[in-house]
Amino acid sequence: MSEFLQQIFSGLATGGIYASLALALVLIYNAMGLVNFAQGEMAMFATFIAFSLISHGVDYWIAFPIALAIAFVGGIVIQRVIIRPVERAPVLTLVIVTLGLASLIDGVAGFLYGYVPRSVPSPFSVETISLFGAVASWQDLGIIGVSAVVLVLIYLLLQRTTLGLALRASAFHPEPSRLLGIRVTWMLALGWGLASAVGAVSGIMVAPVLLLTPTMMQTVIIYAFAAAVLGGIESPLGAVIGGLTVGVVVNLAGAYIPGVGGDLQLAVAFLIIIGVLVIKPNGLLGRRATRRV
Amino acid sequence: MNVGEGDVVALLGANGAGKSTTLRAITGGVKWDGSISFAGKSLNRASTESIVRMGIAHVPEGRGILTELTVDENLRLGTYLRRDRQNVAKDYDRIFGYFPILRERRGLSASTLSGGEQQMLALARALLMRPKLLLLDEPSLGLAPLVVRSIFDIIRTVNETDHVAVLLVEQNARIALELSSRAYVLEVGRVAVEGTSANLQNQESVRRSYLGY
Repeated sequence: MSEFLQQIFSGLATGGIYASLALALVLIYNAMGLVNFAQGEMAMFATFIAFSLISHGVDYWIAFPIALAIAFVGGIVIQRVIIRPVERAPVLTLVIVTLGLASLIDGVAGFLYGYVPRSVPSPFSVETISLFGAVASWQDLGIIGVSAVVLVLIYLLLQRTTLGLALRASAFHPEPSRLLGIRVTWMLALGWGLASAVGAVSGIMVAPVLLLTPTMMQTVIIYAFAAAVLGGIESPLGAVIGGLTVGVVVNLAGAYIPGVGGDLQLAVAFLIIIGVLVIKPNGLLGRRATRRV
Repeated sequence: MNVGEGDVVALLGANGAGKSTTLRAITGGVKWDGSISFAGKSLNRASTESIVRMGIAHVPEGRGILTELTVDENLRLGTYLRRDRQNVAKDYDRIFGYFPILRERRGLSASTLSGGEQQMLALARALLMRPKLLLLDEPSLGLAPLVVRSIFDIIRTVNETDHVAVLLVEQNARIALELSSRAYVLEVGRVAVEGTSANLQNQESVRRSYLGY
């Protein structure tokens, strides 16, 4: 039983990481009806920025917000410079643009930092404590805590502030929003900035667990896709629930299903994606495909 | 074409005459040649957002309700540009006075409203913007005659108390001419007839050939 609980704790920790990246995907999906395939790479790059700061002697908890701020600005710049000119292009064009963006960031990171895996220090001790009779690591609890804080902040921003209201209005109804005086193109850029920063949280949190390389996020993004699809790709809350569920399920599958541990865990993510698309294509909290007209 | 301060002007004509397009041109929703100016300023090349910020509220075709949001959130977006919090509170009281049903429905998703309620919400939201000029696109469309009557009464009241100018696009020429002081009749993109509303109402030939009653 205590081992089971322990697996749940570490599943929730990785789930928090997936939830942040899935939320980033959902924010952009809502703004432009498109999955940003470069989300993982953007997060990876922000992680390298945090890593450089830390290796230059900046304290972890100072480097963390600085990296998020840079990711935020970077997201806005990417939207204004790369995405906006092709905003009205067909979806397939946009998909190719984000894939191109992904390999561009990949290449730039490789050029700047090389492909040698680096270990990133964790701000949390690897020691464990006993919790509800199970052993939990500070690392896992720290990741859960940071993810929770970030997700709650995003929720409050979107649901409780006028800015968040304008962001949601612009994402769902751009033309009527313009008629209310909302600067919609700026709101979309802001959405990219926000998504970029939230995604960066997942990269920075996962780096000490994995090793930091330009390809670090390529598996994480698959889990995030699974989480976003499971939650219903349009729902921020769904992304969070989906992320935690995927984290826990994948972790339990790795621990208890013979043969899954390690390499086959990614297959579980694909199974979740396919299963959701077959059984409940709109996810747990997605809107029904039928709309009132 | 010209709308004076505090005027109510009707824009009439058959389907496809270009009435909605005229409104959309004013708020920058379609590209145009020629000249449009508001309060002495040219609207050429201005973005929709900046035109709205000059004091023009546009209730578009289909009402522009944000159906993903609640009734209250729709109303709050009407005050998005306003900085005078105390007056906003008063304006809320006033629009709930006009449309009590919106107070009851505040917390509900705007998508659950009936057509008439959505029209009320669109109008209430536009009034919260405290515009100098109100562009209304077919406020009577799809509504029961009694609802139309009460909405037009409110438009009249608002015009009289706040001196908001109104440019009103309507299929229902009879009710539009009752409310407006002047009117233009469009025919495939150009003004075919113009004059005071009283005059137009009395000219049987105009009524027959353009207004259909």
